Amino acid sequence: MSTPKLALVDLTKRYQPGLAPAVDHLNMEVEEGHLVALLGPSGCGKTTTLRMVAGLMDPTAGRIVVDGEDITSIPVHRRGMGMVFQSYALFPHMNVAANVAFGLRMRRLPKSERLERVRRALDMVQLGYLAERETKALSGGQQQRIALARALVVEPTLLLLDEPLSNLDAKLRESMRGEIRAIQQRTGATTLFVTHDQDEALDMADRIAVMNGGLIEQFGEPSEVYERPRTRFVAEFIGRANLLDATVVADRGPSGADERRYDVQVPGFGAVGAVGAPGLTGATRTMLVRPHRVQVHCDPGASGSPGTVESVSYTGDSVGYRVRVGDRAQLAEAPTDGRIAAPGDVVRLDWDPASAYLLPEEEER
Amino acid sequence: MTTPPNRFRRRVPVSAVALRVLVALLYVFLLAPLVIIVVISFSSNQYLSFPPTGFSLRWYAELPAETTFIQGMQTTLITASITTLIVLLIGVPASIALARYEVPGRGAISAFFLSPLLVPSVVLALGLVLTLGPLGLTNTYQGIVIGHVSITLPYVIRTTLMSLTTADTSSEEAARVLGANGWAVFRLITLPIIRPGVIAGGIVAFVVSFDEAVISLFVAESGKPTLPVQILRYVADSADAAVAALSVVLILFSVVIVVLVERVMGLRRTLI
Ligand SMILES: Nc1ncnc2c1ncn2[C@@H]1O[C@H](COP(=O)(O)OP(=O)(O)O)[C@@H](O)[C@H]1O
Ligand SMILES: [Mg+2]
Repeated sequence: MSTPKLALVDLTKRYQPGLAPAVDHLNMEVEEGHLVALLGPSGCGKTTTLRMVAGLMDPTAGRIVVDGEDITSIPVHRRGMGMVFQSYALFPHMNVAANVAFGLRMRRLPKSERLERVRRALDMVQLGYLAERETKALSGGQQQRIALARALVVEPTLLLLDEPLSNLDAKLRESMRGEIRAIQQRTGATTLFVTHDQDEALDMADRIAVMNGGLIEQFGEPSEVYERPRTRFVAEFIGRANLLDATVVADRGPSGADERRYDVQVPGFGAVGAVGAPGLTGATRTMLVRPHRVQVHCDPGASGSPGTVESVSYTGDSVGYRVRVGDRAQLAEAPTDGRIAAPGDVVRLDWDPASAYLLPEEEER
Repeated sequence: MTTPPNRFRRRVPVSAVALRVLVALLYVFLLAPLVIIVVISFSSNQYLSFPPTGFSLRWYAELPAETTFIQGMQTTLITASITTLIVLLIGVPASIALARYEVPGRGAISAFFLSPLLVPSVVLALGLVLTLGPLGLTNTYQGIVIGHVSITLPYVIRTTLMSLTTADTSSEEAARVLGANGWAVFRLITLPIIRPGVIAGGIVAFVVSFDEAVISLFVAESGKPTLPVQILRYVADSADAAVAALSVVLILFSVVIVVLVERVMGLRRTLI
């Protein structure tokens, strides 16, 4: 295997002795050219991790390795990173071009080359016409793109983005996602992207590291993290989830490369099908069914488990239902072309056994 | 904006008028001494007295010949300038250390730096005489400067700390990530951002030092009398109206400073 661009080895940060560490023996490897999202709820240690990689903060323990070389003790200004802060952190007393040129100035590049590279960087974010403007008068989106140009113009070893979209309004946020992703792919900059927004992570990242309480709960491709969460936390944090208690009754043979189909018993639903890792027969597991995989049948003669509709929310693209089955409410999301049930209606729920997933046993933490 | 109901609108002018009268009285109270001095400076009276019996410019004409004033002015300008320079060289790095680094006992250090504001100047002056005397520093420029640095440092630290704590530290961090070492961050980012606070502190330090009489009187009355000391002495033994003319010159001097600062960077932005 080739050396990863970035490796974090048992990275730990304890702000105060006695308190729980903000980042706790974190291990991760990032491949060259990838955009990795550090995704997790507020306070889970994302910013702390990013700041340690940047060199703005010393780890309490552990190592940061870039291109096979341990950089843990190299000071921040010699790490050659590019970082975009949540507040953009443009230099208020410099115009746009001087902001972008700053890193090149620190690298003592000749003026002609500086000008040329600043011009190219501003063109890349389509703001060449703002070069001589003061930064204060610019909109959030413009400041954001200038901060990105300023970080990328030095051709950084790693691009570090700390919630770069969280200060923008919803519309702009969506379009900036695509723009940042396109620029990242064009420049090939290996990128760590901190976010608490799962949609952003799913949309933009090559890999997602789901963090919780200073640890990575799961590291994988977006579809893997979404379809095959390793823990309840991941299943609930990424997307919406129905989590059911299932007792595995019988093994029904292979499903795909390394999973098996099982018959399981679920309170309220009776005997249903699910997939999961091998060797689960006889065990009890949490079963995940995504709401949009649940089929809602209004026809009383249909197959499936009966339940009572508690609430209906119509979004145009789909209809969301809360349906009470037995003593628990389940979520379902149905297309709008069929009949739409009303609260109080009795409907029947079922799903393709291949879209019900038995979570692996949770490790003790 | 919505219009308030009529019955309220009636009452507002009464209190507004009362407020205006009060403010006007305050201004009169504050400005009357200045007005009186200006008037006296143009009088033909021999002594400092009011009202004038006639008008003349003789006190202004005599000012340049008044060597005690000229020497006092010289001493004051030298000590105030050096004080300002030193106090900035100490105060700005000290503020940065307090605001940006995890200094143990930060609270105690801040309190120590700000404490001269709370100690009566007479007490401070007495302490200085007792300390500087054995060192041979009484009646020297150094003695005055040491005294003035200790009373002006709090102002510089306060204004600089204020700018530092309101400034967004992430632009300093952004500069470090982009390759700036500690000195480059200070010179290219921190200092330009806190410049208004530093200049405000410097101006206040200069003015306080320029105006200071108690410490100068204790520390250097006979050797290096500053202008305020000379004025005190002058009023004590001759009491003619030359002092009034000098005061008007000093008023103009402060107005010029204020206008210059306002021109260069906007005083309101500097002081707030
Ligand atoms: N400078 C600090 N001093 C003490 N505790 C801190 C500091 N910065 C962050 N923390 C704590 O560390 C934890 C992780 O913070 P952070 O990395 O900022 O989380 P995130 O970016 O995921 O929201 C939080 O509990 C936070 O309160
Ligand atoms: Mg954060």
